[in-house]
Amino acid sequence: MSDNRALQRVNILVNHILQSSPTSSSNLSLTREICLQYSPPELNESCVFDVKEMRKLLDGHDVVDRDWIYGLMTQSNLFNRKERGGKIFVSPDYNQTMEQQREITMKRIWYLLENGVFQGWLTESGPEAELRKLALLEVCGIYDHSVSIKVGVHFFLWGNAVKFFGTKRHHEKWLKSTEDYVVKGCFAMTELGHGSNVRGIETVTTYDPTTEEFVISTPCESAQKYWIGGAANHATHTIVFSQLHINGTNQGVHAFIAQIRDQDGNICPNIRIADCGHKIGLNGVDNGRIWFDNLRIPRENLLNAVADVSSDGKYVSAIKDPDQRFGAFMAPLTSGRVTIASSAIYSAKVGLATAIRYSLSRRAFSVTANGPEVLLLDYPSHQRRLLPLLAKTYAMSFAANELKMIYVKRTPETNKAIHVVSSGFKAVLTWHNMRTLQECREAVGGQGIKTENLVGQLKGEFDVQTTFEGDNNVLMQQVSKALFAEYVSCKKRNKPFKGLGLEHMNGSRPVLPTQLTSSTLRCSQFQTNVFCLRERDLLEQFTSEIAQLQGRGESREISFLQSHQLAEDLGKAFTEKAILQTILDAEAKLPAGSVKDVLGLVRSMYALISLEEDPSLLRYGYLSRENVGDVRREVSKLCGELRPHALALVTSFGIPDSFLSPIAFNWVEANAWSSV
Amino acid sequence: MAVEMASRSQVLVEEKSGVRILTLNRPKQLNALSFQMISRLLQLCLAYEEDPSVKLVILKGLGRAFCAGGDVAAVVRDIKQGNWRLGANYFSDEYILNYVMATYSKPQVSILNGIVMGGGAGVSVHGRFRIATENTVFAMPETALGLFPDIGASYFLSRLPGFFGEYVGLTGARLDGAEMLTCGLATHFVPSKRLTALEADLCRVGSSDPTFASTILDAYTQKPRLKQQSAYRRLDVIDRCFSRRTVEEIISALEREATQEADGWISATILSLKKASPASLKISLRSIREGRLQGVGQCLIREYRMVCHVLKGEISKDFVEGCRAILVDKDKNPKWEPRRLEDMKDSMVEKYFTRVEEEGEWEDLKLPARKNLPAIAISKL
Repeated sequence: MSDNRALQRVNILVNHILQSSPTSSSNLSLTREICLQYSPPELNESCVFDVKEMRKLLDGHDVVDRDWIYGLMTQSNLFNRKERGGKIFVSPDYNQTMEQQREITMKRIWYLLENGVFQGWLTESGPEAELRKLALLEVCGIYDHSVSIKVGVHFFLWGNAVKFFGTKRHHEKWLKSTEDYVVKGCFAMTELGHGSNVRGIETVTTYDPTTEEFVISTPCESAQKYWIGGAANHATHTIVFSQLHINGTNQGVHAFIAQIRDQDGNICPNIRIADCGHKIGLNGVDNGRIWFDNLRIPRENLLNAVADVSSDGKYVSAIKDPDQRFGAFMAPLTSGRVTIASSAIYSAKVGLATAIRYSLSRRAFSVTANGPEVLLLDYPSHQRRLLPLLAKTYAMSFAANELKMIYVKRTPETNKAIHVVSSGFKAVLTWHNMRTLQECREAVGGQGIKTENLVGQLKGEFDVQTTFEGDNNVLMQQVSKALFAEYVSCKKRNKPFKGLGLEHMNGSRPVLPTQLTSSTLRCSQFQTNVFCLRERDLLEQFTSEIAQLQGRGESREISFLQSHQLAEDLGKAFTEKAILQTILDAEAKLPAGSVKDVLGLVRSMYALISLEEDPSLLRYGYLSRENVGDVRREVSKLCGELRPHALALVTSFGIPDSFLSPIAFNWVEANAWSSV
Repeated sequence: MAVEMASRSQVLVEEKSGVRILTLNRPKQLNALSFQMISRLLQLCLAYEEDPSVKLVILKGLGRAFCAGGDVAAVVRDIKQGNWRLGANYFSDEYILNYVMATYSKPQVSILNGIVMGGGAGVSVHGRFRIATENTVFAMPETALGLFPDIGASYFLSRLPGFFGEYVGLTGARLDGAEMLTCGLATHFVPSKRLTALEADLCRVGSSDPTFASTILDAYTQKPRLKQQSAYRRLDVIDRCFSRRTVEEIISALEREATQEADGWISATILSLKKASPASLKISLRSIREGRLQGVGQCLIREYRMVCHVLKGEISKDFVEGCRAILVDKDKNPKWEPRRLEDMKDSMVEKYFTRVEEEGEWEDLKLPARKNLPAIAISKL
């Protein structure tokens, strides 16, 4: 111990001397013996599988185009290139003021536009074009959530509303000009008083047949449009969601196009706009509030794919039932939940790649006297913190890809499934991201506090994902409600279950072995059986509890509210099983080999950590206390088995070094006096 | 001062206290790198790295070229004799040499007083210091030969400002010393008449800390004027066009620019793209784009896969045809196959980036282990 102290003291003295004469080479060699040196994890970690193949699986599509846009960003000075520790990084300067962040975000979008990134985003259709667009948007979000949100609002909310709610006249007038950013669109749905409950919004639109115009008004403060991305500074046009009153009858929520600024950026008459102010993240997006003071817009500006008003003021719609009309109306908006789910996973990947790379180069404490300090990821406890999250991120990566595939191949018949799956995935994946980022932040210690190191900052940048495009808790309730409806309808008509992955309910209830060996626990059939059993039993319990409550005279709505605990368990069981299925499917498609083997380990980790973390297995007795102990031991074993693959698994995320942060690489040199 | 000269050798070696001066000595072939030269350079570099008395390595060429590239004529001969694997061995050694230089723990000073092309760039640009002169002519002419910019070019071209690397790599444009310095391919510019004095000064370096060599070089370097018609002055146009997603889009962006102003440089650029091998253009663009996101080692491993596909000639035989038209028959009229860009499908491009399926053992390039590298040993651009 005293030897160590003396050594440390010498070290400090040597450093003092060196600072005054950094060229003295004889002293340099002395410091090398004493000082910590960064050793790139690549030197000590082996890689048993083809990282490129794994990356192709994870990204799923358009790998070449992803690389193209990564390159576009690294080569431009607009993306805040900086050198740290001999490497180039691109990442926004989050120390800029809100105003500066908004302007630079807009400039970055102009740059991407000029380079043809958005070509065909609204004027081309088909699964291939849609997937390409999703890939490019994902990369925007890896650079900065503000860029992807601002682009997303313009194309996916404003642009898709015009495309899907509008008809030929709207398409001709707006789609190309939107793609070229001649108009800048925003999307005014949420109000101060109503968010997830769109049907309750209070904005009112009436029709004036004498001038053939609609008149939009904000009748009270709670009806002001709120959080409207793009509204505070840049947008020239907006979609307005409003109740439509025709001759005293409320026909429900409809969407209109209104111009809010002229081409010079001046706010139009009868429009008032205020800023939402500084936020805990996402300050590159100019969220604003809008009031409409009897704004008059031409009759043609009603987006009339579902319903229309004739010039003499008659309301016409092919869909008579207002509930169905609303559903048909909102269906295309699923794209928001699809893009949020996938971008949440890419954010988690940035966090994990950084934290795991750091933990493969940072040491702390020796376990033997005078022995070397131990690499963070060689601590079983550190493995337990990060590797299960890594496995979940893998599984959810496949889930996000599957969601994208069913979205781009959507048909009217798949709308319901897309709604349910996207609701569950959006909620679970965004929650997973927030949890992962927090763990990664703590896992890199104090370095996680530095904005430049990204992991901490991303928490603020991505937090909003758990709320927008449907509050996560509301979405999970929708999942359980949809499952309930499906169950009731199948039982009533005495038909087998079909769709939503419920087919297993047609067979007999799976029986789990009482003794769980390691090989049982890692067997995909066993894993599938536990997940199915949990989903099936919870669905049966949930429906029977609702039936009981209804039998006691409660309304269906009140019964749902009362059963919120079961609803939560069920929503989670459904979503986790759907995720497991996607990674099993991906694994099944692979030829035998190292990629498949490693993915099998990852899948087992995903399955077992999900079981370990869910108290419902014990609560409802699907597993015994002894079983749960076996699961826990197996998780620990899997941590040790995944440890050698950790570096290769995060490298397979395919995120270029320049999009991670200095602590993921040579953090000694990045912090050296010479680079101050 | 010990001086060791082996006049018949293709690589001359001089020892001057802590400095080793290596001279490429194949002036009739413009110092094109033969298999022996590569092996010798590799052997010397590795030995110097271990030898604590060596502090600095100088590399230069005898005659009017630094080095005009790899010895592709020999490789094409091998291919024609059904021996593409021999060619693959040549490239494997060359890329390993490039990697050792890119990760070298001692400063390498390359004196580029003449032609620097292809493989010549590979043995210089990866090193710490590259000295351009008024005689320097740099180019990566591979797309006109049915090859692609290899030797780790996908690493250093992709790190040039903006999309200048795509421009240099796809068009084979020639750069002079001033342009090399401005874009970062060279680190210093020294008039040729001062090279002897510079060398003598460098030979006094007593430490492998690059700051010592740097101080000496800084005293000799000049800031040459970029010529008026330099492509580097057109970086805005280059960025607008060469940033495009595909080769086809790059050409149409250039053609759009050409309609806005009549300009000799733009039409020459379009012409060089239209004359190049369509297969080469497409794989080169993708290689540079991937290279931008990869380390130098990964770049070389990928390029080795690509070059093996080129040598094997299953997707396109443009390399043999390009060498025939430019180097052998010199009719400058290669018949490319696929003939047009649109015939070179994405799926065909994709194949160049996959492992080579081969009877018998084909393996990915195995790079030697390099220990404890400081970041500056790797990133030089």
